[in-house]
Amino acid sequence: MDNVPFERLDRYTYRIPRHGKMWVDAVFYANDEILAQLEAEGYASLKQLVNVATLPGIVGPALAMPDIHWGYGFPIGGVAAFDPTAGGVVSPGGVGFDINCGVRLLTTRLTREDLEPRKTRLADALYRRVPAGVGSARRDVRWSPKDLKTVLREGARALVAQGFGEAADLERIESGGRLPLADPDRVSARALERGGPQLGTLGSGNHFLEVQYVDEVYDPEAAEAYGLWVGQVTVLIHTGSRGLGHQVCQDYVERFLQAARRYGIELVDRQLAAAPIESPEGQDYLHAMAAAANFAFANRQLITHNVRLAFEDAGFLPRDHQLRVLYDLAHNNAKFEEYAGRRVLVHRKGATRAFGPGAPDVPPAFRTVGQPVLVPGDMGRYSFVLAGTPGAMTRTFGSSCHGAGRQMSRHKAKKAARKRNLIAELEAQGILVRAASRATVDEEMPEAYKDVASVVDVVHGAGIGKKVARLRPLIVVKG
Amino acid sequence: MIRMLDHTADVGFEVRAPTREALFETAREGLLRLMFQHPPTQGSATREVTLQAPDLEFLLVRWLNELIYLVQTAGFVPARAAITITEDAQGFTLRARLEGQPFDAEAMGWQGEIKSATFHGLEVRPETSGWWARVVLDV
Repeated sequence: MDNVPFERLDRYTYRIPRHGKMWVDAVFYANDEILAQLEAEGYASLKQLVNVATLPGIVGPALAMPDIHWGYGFPIGGVAAFDPTAGGVVSPGGVGFDINCGVRLLTTRLTREDLEPRKTRLADALYRRVPAGVGSARRDVRWSPKDLKTVLREGARALVAQGFGEAADLERIESGGRLPLADPDRVSARALERGGPQLGTLGSGNHFLEVQYVDEVYDPEAAEAYGLWVGQVTVLIHTGSRGLGHQVCQDYVERFLQAARRYGIELVDRQLAAAPIESPEGQDYLHAMAAAANFAFANRQLITHNVRLAFEDAGFLPRDHQLRVLYDLAHNNAKFEEYAGRRVLVHRKGATRAFGPGAPDVPPAFRTVGQPVLVPGDMGRYSFVLAGTPGAMTRTFGSSCHGAGRQMSRHKAKKAARKRNLIAELEAQGILVRAASRATVDEEMPEAYKDVASVVDVVHGAGIGKKVARLRPLIVVKG
Repeated sequence: MIRMLDHTADVGFEVRAPTREALFETAREGLLRLMFQHPPTQGSATREVTLQAPDLEFLLVRWLNELIYLVQTAGFVPARAAITITEDAQGFTLRARLEGQPFDAEAMGWQGEIKSATFHGLEVRPETSGWWARVVLDV
């Protein structure tokens, strides 16, 4: 077992009992296929989960979703809650470099058939309107340092106030598109410099913009509440806080490495650098992280505005497309939430908030069925919409998976893709790809990812999310 | 010597060189090889960089992050570096004179953004005949 002893609790739930320097148990969700993948990587990601359980003030268990894979510091797919009143810590490595990276799903009233004749025009318009890849700087909209700070304070609201979107969009964004703790003055000048020109851009790597259609509905009641129906065209946006968030993470990991020593926090991995939530360093990070999170909400808001314009470029009037935000959620952040009467700071790194029915932070329209949980897959297969469940509230601090998880390194994927023309292959399947670089498409080849259906089946089977609908890609824009 | 590492989610490399300075210069080369298919090897624009850190591992992360910033935000691709590293009671200071070129995604074969160098699995250590380092980058 290579030093990670675990036991099976039920069909999909596994426990690593507290041992060594762990303060609490660790729990992860998997099926046989996922277990085999964990074994193949020498249980590296489970060892990282064990490391998370050694951090002070953790309220157990340390958790990993079924899309768990090897990250740095925390595993990707990791969830951990800390009690501020019991010496609990905050760790920038538990949030990740791409602060508030997340997904936003837009619905339309168009059918797949409506789209087909204008698909190429739309693909080109989206690629033109939403800068991707490097150079991913907007030249049409410039933000003065003062305006940028307003964006960091107000999030998506700042964009709507300037005419980039509609007030109704804000009701469908996690936390209303604004984390109130945000303080731009705790964000470094370099972070502002990196982020300024990147607002409204997609970036590269695994980020994308996808036009899709609903090909299957599993839960008619939830689908109706979400406004989803078979054959409907949807748009999924996956991106985060760009260079601004990366710099905030960098700045604070460096500062926390020094702070951890001062607070006597023993780090088994330096990327786990942490400081007490209540310390000046912890507070500075939480305020800076919230500002970066607001940048990410605003980023997805500006992209949404430009998606609407792209549909118009392709000849769809607003009354025809009726692009609406179904939901926008983050999968890299830390938030104060209450469970069993205890206020804790929940870190989600590559994990999605998945509040169940009745939770006050869920938009009223979804409150009877739970919040939408958006789970992107790879660009060749499908993505899923799930609903938050009561099970997630009691077992995973209201969390669920965030995606498929890689199974092939970027290097291997590039090598495997070298002799193929992935763009032509995808086109033959009816998927138009517009990409800033072939390298990104190769790295992101469908086979580089686990089958997201397997991950989603574990989430559904374990009762920490409920399958609502499946979406298939039609157009993919990549950095 | 540069050896690329396979990491499921991210990328990384190990480098070996006869001196500390050569180690940092080789790490620059490793980073550029991850960023570009055809990284430039010379350039006429110059930049000066000074960085400080309490230890060599910290310094390596700062160095790579500085280079990522120069490429992605300042649009300057560092093709060569003349490096000196000094040590005092506070730690280490790196001074580098960089020669480089303006960023050109197409000509250089841009392969995608790198978010940051990380402290995960990071190591810098002397060997009998020089220096060795390993670093993982978040992409």
